[in-house]
Amino acid sequence: MSRTRALIVAAVLIVFIAAGGVLIYATRSHGGQNVTIDLTVTGGTKMNPTDSTAHQDDKVTINVTSDTDGEVHLHGYDIPFEAKAGQTVSHTFTADKTGNFLIEWETTSTELGHLVVT
Amino acid sequence: MLAGILLHGFGQRYDLPIGLALYLFAAGGVVLISFVLVVLFAGEQVGAKAIAYPRRAVPWLVGVARSPWPLATGGTIGVLGLLTVVIAGFFGSANAFYNPAEYVVWIYFWAVTVILSGLVGNLWYLLNPWAAIYDVVARLVPVRPLWKLPEVGVWPAMFAYFAFACLELTSGMGSRPQIVALAAVVYSVITLAGMFMFGRNEWLEHCEGFTVLFGIIGRFGPFEAERDEGGAIRAVYVRPWGVGLLRPAATGWDRVVFVILMLSTLAFDGILSTPAWQDFNLALEPVWLPLGAWGFFFARTLGLLLLTVAFLLVFVAFMEAVIYLGQRKVDMVATVSAFALTLVPIALVYNAAHNYSYVVVSSQYLIPLLNDPLGKGWHLWPAVVGFKPSFALAQASTVWYAQIVLIVLGHVTAVYLSHLRAGERFRTVQRALLSQYPMLLLMIMYTMTSLWILAQPITRETG
Repeated sequence: MSRTRALIVAAVLIVFIAAGGVLIYATRSHGGQNVTIDLTVTGGTKMNPTDSTAHQDDKVTINVTSDTDGEVHLHGYDIPFEAKAGQTVSHTFTADKTGNFLIEWETTSTELGHLVVT
Repeated sequence: MLAGILLHGFGQRYDLPIGLALYLFAAGGVVLISFVLVVLFAGEQVGAKAIAYPRRAVPWLVGVARSPWPLATGGTIGVLGLLTVVIAGFFGSANAFYNPAEYVVWIYFWAVTVILSGLVGNLWYLLNPWAAIYDVVARLVPVRPLWKLPEVGVWPAMFAYFAFACLELTSGMGSRPQIVALAAVVYSVITLAGMFMFGRNEWLEHCEGFTVLFGIIGRFGPFEAERDEGGAIRAVYVRPWGVGLLRPAATGWDRVVFVILMLSTLAFDGILSTPAWQDFNLALEPVWLPLGAWGFFFARTLGLLLLTVAFLLVFVAFMEAVIYLGQRKVDMVATVSAFALTLVPIALVYNAAHNYSYVVVSSQYLIPLLNDPLGKGWHLWPAVVGFKPSFALAQASTVWYAQIVLIVLGHVTAVYLSHLRAGERFRTVQRALLSQYPMLLLMIMYTMTSLWILAQPITRETG
């Protein structure tokens, strides 16, 4: 590969990669709101709603109500909700990580749903 | 019913699908860059000159390569890894998330070793625990192969690799540590027996799936060694990434199918989480549901097989077009084998993009487990219990950026290598260029497929 050609390829790649960086980092969502999510778990197998969303840096409060005793676990943020039948357990945290986070009925590793932070 | 079965061998991912704007940007970029590459390299050389590449000798590495230490260290790590998988798998937690065996197999071996081997060179050559065990035994007692291995090409290795892919993707058993440990034991027995019966290298090079796989991946890496007649290393060179795929290699349909399988298993892993697959799966439910757990395995394995056959047919059809436009009587099998290797960069970068969050985030969850690796209530290293994995490299924007840059770089490398290969195979510059249009189209299709999969919404199993 001659030097000029290599330079042109390198230049095209750099422009592309830089443009991608600008596009990605400039358009990312800005959160910072207070968000409250109410989750109802039935029988340690079903959750309503299954999927909830928040933006990065939102202050998220999750209220879990279950009809059975057990642990509802929000992975990634690693937050355990020690549910007691009929009572509501709440945790508040800042959604500093983005991603698709699994919510599980920890005792049986049953997938209940997801928290999606964009 | 299936809600409890993890989708992958190991089920913790924090990816978000890339957005539509980014997908269009990346897709447009891929087409544009391909076009620039083709225009720039029209009129390059033909014949053997076309695939000559620069390399530089590194004298001090010769000493390192000749010393027994890299193999001894690598072999020790490999054997310890294998022991971890077997012991933790059988005696540790039944939950994949809390069992070190799952981390060692699916993250440290499967994702990390593959990616590092592409970056550095064939690490499996050093890490292979079965080769290490064989070498120690062979040092203590003289061993001599009992039989000669028949002419089998790399078909047995391909079946071994396919079986591993099935364990990960189609069996639904990859997240069960005991099954993983059992598979490791069975495969160890087969590999060791094969090496002792048919000869160490004969078995490794034809029947051991990972040796063949990492042999292909290592060609992408930046190091190459030259050996003299006695097999001793004479010189070590550094070269640009990817060009090693242009070096002479064994040919045959077995090799072609192996490379295609590398692409199709990765693509299948991504496709499993797309709505398209969910719909397909749902449509077939009346067929596989009555078969129980076997039905689940059957539906997925069939999907993987069909995808592999589809990839293979598309590749061969495009190669027919390439050879037709190249207008030269060439050996079909040799040419298809040579071009198949130019697809390896696409497979490698897709692997890296796909496993990105496994490598930067999930891998860290092994650290707190070191205190009590078998889940027996031990306190081996209390300091690590409170360890919280860092998500610094896993912000959605960073993940997207890394994925898009990786995919585009792999695509560019593949297009460039394929262009050089065409120059070598076909007689004139014009013919070589003409022959490249179908190949270019094929590579754009593969790259678009990878991007499309990364852009799919992540869906859930409904049970």
